[in-house]
Amino acid sequence: MVKSWLQKFTRRKIWIRRLIQAFFFVLIALIAVNHTLAESGGGLPLLSSASLHALCPFGGVVTIYQYATTGTFVQKIHESSFILMILGLLLAVLFGPVFCGWVCPFGTFQEWLAGIGRKLFGKRRFNRLIPEKVDRVLRYARYLVLAWVLYMTAASATLIFAEYDPYFALFNFWSDEVAVGGLIVLGVVIAASLVIERPWCKYACPYGAVLGITNLFRVFQLRRREATCKLDGACDIHCPMNIKVSEKKVIRDHQCISCMECTSEARCPAAATVEFVAGGR
Amino acid sequence: MKMTSKSMAAVILVILFGGIAVTTALGWWATETTKEPARFSEGEAAGEYNPLDIRGSYTFGDISRLFEIPIEDLAQAFQVPQGVDPASFQVKNLEDQFAAYAGDLGTSSVRLFTAFYTGLPYDLTLEEVYLPDSAAAVLLAKAPLNEEQKAYLAAHTVITSEVSTPPAAETVAASTPAPAATETHTVEEGKVAGKTTFQDLLDWGVPKEVIEQIMGGMPPTTSTLVKDYCTLKGLSFSEIKLLLQAEVDKALKK
Repeated sequence: MVKSWLQKFTRRKIWIRRLIQAFFFVLIALIAVNHTLAESGGGLPLLSSASLHALCPFGGVVTIYQYATTGTFVQKIHESSFILMILGLLLAVLFGPVFCGWVCPFGTFQEWLAGIGRKLFGKRRFNRLIPEKVDRVLRYARYLVLAWVLYMTAASATLIFAEYDPYFALFNFWSDEVAVGGLIVLGVVIAASLVIERPWCKYACPYGAVLGITNLFRVFQLRRREATCKLDGACDIHCPMNIKVSEKKVIRDHQCISCMECTSEARCPAAATVEFVAGGR
Repeated sequence: MKMTSKSMAAVILVILFGGIAVTTALGWWATETTKEPARFSEGEAAGEYNPLDIRGSYTFGDISRLFEIPIEDLAQAFQVPQGVDPASFQVKNLEDQFAAYAGDLGTSSVRLFTAFYTGLPYDLTLEEVYLPDSAAAVLLAKAPLNEEQKAYLAAHTVITSEVSTPPAAETVAASTPAPAATETHTVEEGKVAGKTTFQDLLDWGVPKEVIEQIMGGMPPTTSTLVKDYCTLKGLSFSEIKLLLQAEVDKALKK
C-alpha cells in the first residue's frame, strides 16, 4: 500500500515540491507541540522548542522599525526571525516568493484544503468563483493589511498581528496563547479554502505582499516561449494564483508564488516552453 | 540558466538550513531571549541596559541582577504572592495576576518601574503605561523621580490595594506619600471636577451604562480620574463635565 502510494506520489510532476512542503509542515507542527511540552517542563530532545513567533520571517519584517529606532525587537520576536527574514528575502530576490510556494506551512495547509474543495465543487468551478473584476481589486488588499500591521506594530511596540494571525492559531489552537481573533480568521480561511485556492495568500497575507514585490525583479524569471507555446491554457488552469501565464512572455505578477506548476517540467505539455530561467535563453 | 524543481528544492534547503547553521556558528541565531536586554547606544546612559527591552520571559531575579534593583522591592512593588519565589517569578505572570485590570498592568509596567527606579531614560510618549499603587509607593519612597515622572505616576496609578495588596505593600504605602491621584482625592459631593473619579460618579448614582454612553467606554479601574480618561481618549473634559454633571444632578434628585 505504501509502495503504491509512493509510486502515485512520485508520478506527479514536480512531486518534490509537495515533499518539501510536507516536510516543513511536519517540522513546524512538531516544534509547536514541543514548545508546549517545554513550557510545562517536558519536551523532546534534539528538536527545537522555539515559539513559532521566533520562527516566522514576517516577525523580522514587523520589527524593523523598532529595531532601527530603539535597537530592540518587538516582544516575542528574536534574532531568528530577523535571520529568517533575510534568508527569505535572499530566496525571493533569486526566485521570487518560493517561501510561499515551497516552504510556508500555512500555504501548504490551504493547498491541502483545496484538494477537498476540488472534490466538492469540481475542478471547473473550484478557484473560479470570484468575479474577475472583484478578484483583481481584492488582490491588493494584502498591501493594506501589510501597511496596517507595520503601522500598528510601530505605534504599539507589540506584536499586534499575533491577535489575528491564522498561521499561529493553526499550530497553537490548543494553547491559551492563541487569540480569539486568530481562531476566527483561521476559521474563515479554512472555509474560504474550500472554494478558493490559497485565499489567505491571495487577499490577506502581509508577508506574501512583501515577497510578491520581488517578482518584478527576481534573478530567475518564469518565461514563456511563444514560438513553441500551444496556447492550450494548461498553465492558466493549474496556476493556484489564477495568473494568466499564457498571455505573458515573462511572469512579473506580484501574486506568483514560484510553485513551478505552470512550467514545462510540470503541467505545460510543450517541452522547454514555460521555464524558470536566469539571463538569456 | 534553467532551474528545475529538484535544483530549486536543493537551493531552498541549502539556503535556509545553511543560513541557520552559519548564523548559529557565528552566535547570531537565537530563538529565545538571551536574558540580556539591549544597551543604550547613545546619550548619558550609553552602555547601560535599556529597560524597554525587558521581556515577559524575564524573571524578577533577572531584572534584579541586570538592573541592580533589590528583589524585595520588585516583589513588593508587583505584589508577588506569598509563598512564591520572587527570583523565579516571570514578568509575563503579571497579566494573569492583574487580570482584573484588563491588561493595563503587565510587562510595560515593569519596564516603566525599572526605568523610574534606576533613573534610566524612558520615553513616556511611547505608550500609556500604568503601575499598581504598590509599585508607585515603592518608587515614591526609593526612586530619584523628577516632577514630570511624579506627575506621570499620579495619572497612571491603578489602585489595586482593595483587591490584592499584601501587608508588605501597605507598610510601604503608609510610610511614603501615596500617588498624587489618590493623595489629594477630596471631592465635593455631587460636583464634577478635575478630581472626580469614575467611582465618584457611580457612588452618586449615575448608571454605568450612562457613563459609558457619554464617555464612549469605561477605564479598567473606576479609580481613574474622569479628566485623565478624557485626555487619554482625546475628549474635551469641559464638554464631558457638563454632560456628566447633568446626569449627576438627575441621579441625586431621585
